[in-house]
Amino acid sequence: MIQKLSKLLLPIWVAAAYLFLYVPLFVLVIFSFNKTAFPYRWAGFSWCWYQDLFASSALWDAVYNSFIVGLSAVALSLIIGLFFVMWIVQRKTDYFLTLFYPNLIVPEIVLAVGLLSFFIFFHIPLGLNTLVVAHTLLGLGYTIPILHASFVAFDPRLIEASLDLGATPTQTFFKIVLPVITPALLSAGLLVFILSLDDFLIAFFCAGSDAQTLSLYIFSMIRSGVSPEVNALATLMIIVSSVLVMAYSSLQVRDRIW
Amino acid sequence: MKSSRDFFSPNQSFFWGVVAFIWQLLFFYIPVSFLISTSFVEYFPDLGISRFTLTFYKDFFNPVYGEIFLRSFLLAAVTVVVALLISYPVAYYLAVKVKRFKNILFALLILPFWTNLLLLVYSWYFLLENDGIINNFLMALGIIKEPIHMMNSMFAVYMGTIYCYLPFMLLPLYSVLDKFDTRLLEASADLGATYSQTFRKIVLPLTYPGIKTGAMLVFVPSFGEFVIPALLGGDKNMYVGSVIAHYFLTVRNVPLGSAFTCFSIFILISAFCMYGCIHYIVSRLIRGSHDTETF
Repeated sequence: MIQKLSKLLLPIWVAAAYLFLYVPLFVLVIFSFNKTAFPYRWAGFSWCWYQDLFASSALWDAVYNSFIVGLSAVALSLIIGLFFVMWIVQRKTDYFLTLFYPNLIVPEIVLAVGLLSFFIFFHIPLGLNTLVVAHTLLGLGYTIPILHASFVAFDPRLIEASLDLGATPTQTFFKIVLPVITPALLSAGLLVFILSLDDFLIAFFCAGSDAQTLSLYIFSMIRSGVSPEVNALATLMIIVSSVLVMAYSSLQVRDRIW
Repeated sequence: MKSSRDFFSPNQSFFWGVVAFIWQLLFFYIPVSFLISTSFVEYFPDLGISRFTLTFYKDFFNPVYGEIFLRSFLLAAVTVVVALLISYPVAYYLAVKVKRFKNILFALLILPFWTNLLLLVYSWYFLLENDGIINNFLMALGIIKEPIHMMNSMFAVYMGTIYCYLPFMLLPLYSVLDKFDTRLLEASADLGATYSQTFRKIVLPLTYPGIKTGAMLVFVPSFGEFVIPALLGGDKNMYVGSVIAHYFLTVRNVPLGSAFTCFSIFILISAFCMYGCIHYIVSRLIRGSHDTETF
């Protein structure tokens, strides 16, 4: 009896959870096509909010800034993280990994205010570069465990064989090591990019007044009230993130980090 | 020939590997220790001296602050429990029962996690407002006559937080359940265990690490949450995150803000220690009663 009931209950529960996750997003997308600026009431289909959105230069500045910060953070955290992981794997000093765990555990707001008071104290002007610093730090917390996991799975005898056969360390890296760790590099990079793009808290504290990122732009728009323009932007961002999610799940390395 | 000037040789790897180390030290450990130390230092500009003090911490033993900590703690705890209740069956179903379209269903689950948090919060405006979807729906059904006021309330904050942090619980749970060996279920059933016994004695203990990770990933950020209360909570109720932001950005009192931040971290850590102690004692008691049962 219980077994039968639970057989039925489980799919219903799962469907309800998917509804809970998707109804708000669905509503968000629907109302981006609303004709009137008056929120919550459907008045007819229109593309006008998308046109307004594409015409706004503030948005494109914010997108540009976000991409600059995101790509720099990805590049820096991957390169720095990769060298660090290679170092600790070669020296077998894996316990150094624990140094980077707090980046994931400490509440982001603590990191944000800590960095803010640090930058203020040393008179470092707030702006995009302070944001890159902070996002790289956040990114290291993710790239280092992911890359480490892929290095641990790597057979070190392959490297020895390659060196024995006369390849230089650089050749060995590009021909043996890099192809094996590429999926890990890609997934870590994607993750850091998304984190940087999504981050609001650190940007709110550490970006200063004139470095507008996408999240800060969205926040200022939401603060001034509901507008279908935000819905249009949300729809576009949901499309972009769906593409990224598909790319990410096709890499199949997701659960190494959790 | 192996030259020592080769970029990837072991001799060079120290130099380049140490960059991450310095980065972490400079931008994580130094700022955090800086935060801790400023909260204990009082500076007198006229005299040009600074000294050790505890004055910034004195105020936090006020009931007003107690209420703020309790409110944030409650928000985080409720979010963990509700997120666990929602996501455990989902993760279990997806990992153990579903065979086809598993990857697509999983990708759909993590999609909200990859969407900007502010937009997730914003989507709840449309559901919770007085003339929003939920009120319209309930009024159309004739369940309510007047719209229920839901925006700018604790309820809105709870809904927003649960919604935004649900994926943080789902992912680690899915991850452990995906590795779960379903033959154990068959073995347990063969040996005569009931459904609930199997769940309690086999499934739950094996997925406990995932629950722990998920609880941690949800509890910590929702305890310090600033954005969701700021957007959905109105300005009546303060949360830990809003107080920190208030001190640093509005009042611009760095020592007091640092003291408050350190104090919240202290509370967070003591909450975890308390949880650890309770867990230890309870598991000891359970194991003890089991021992007597078997003998």
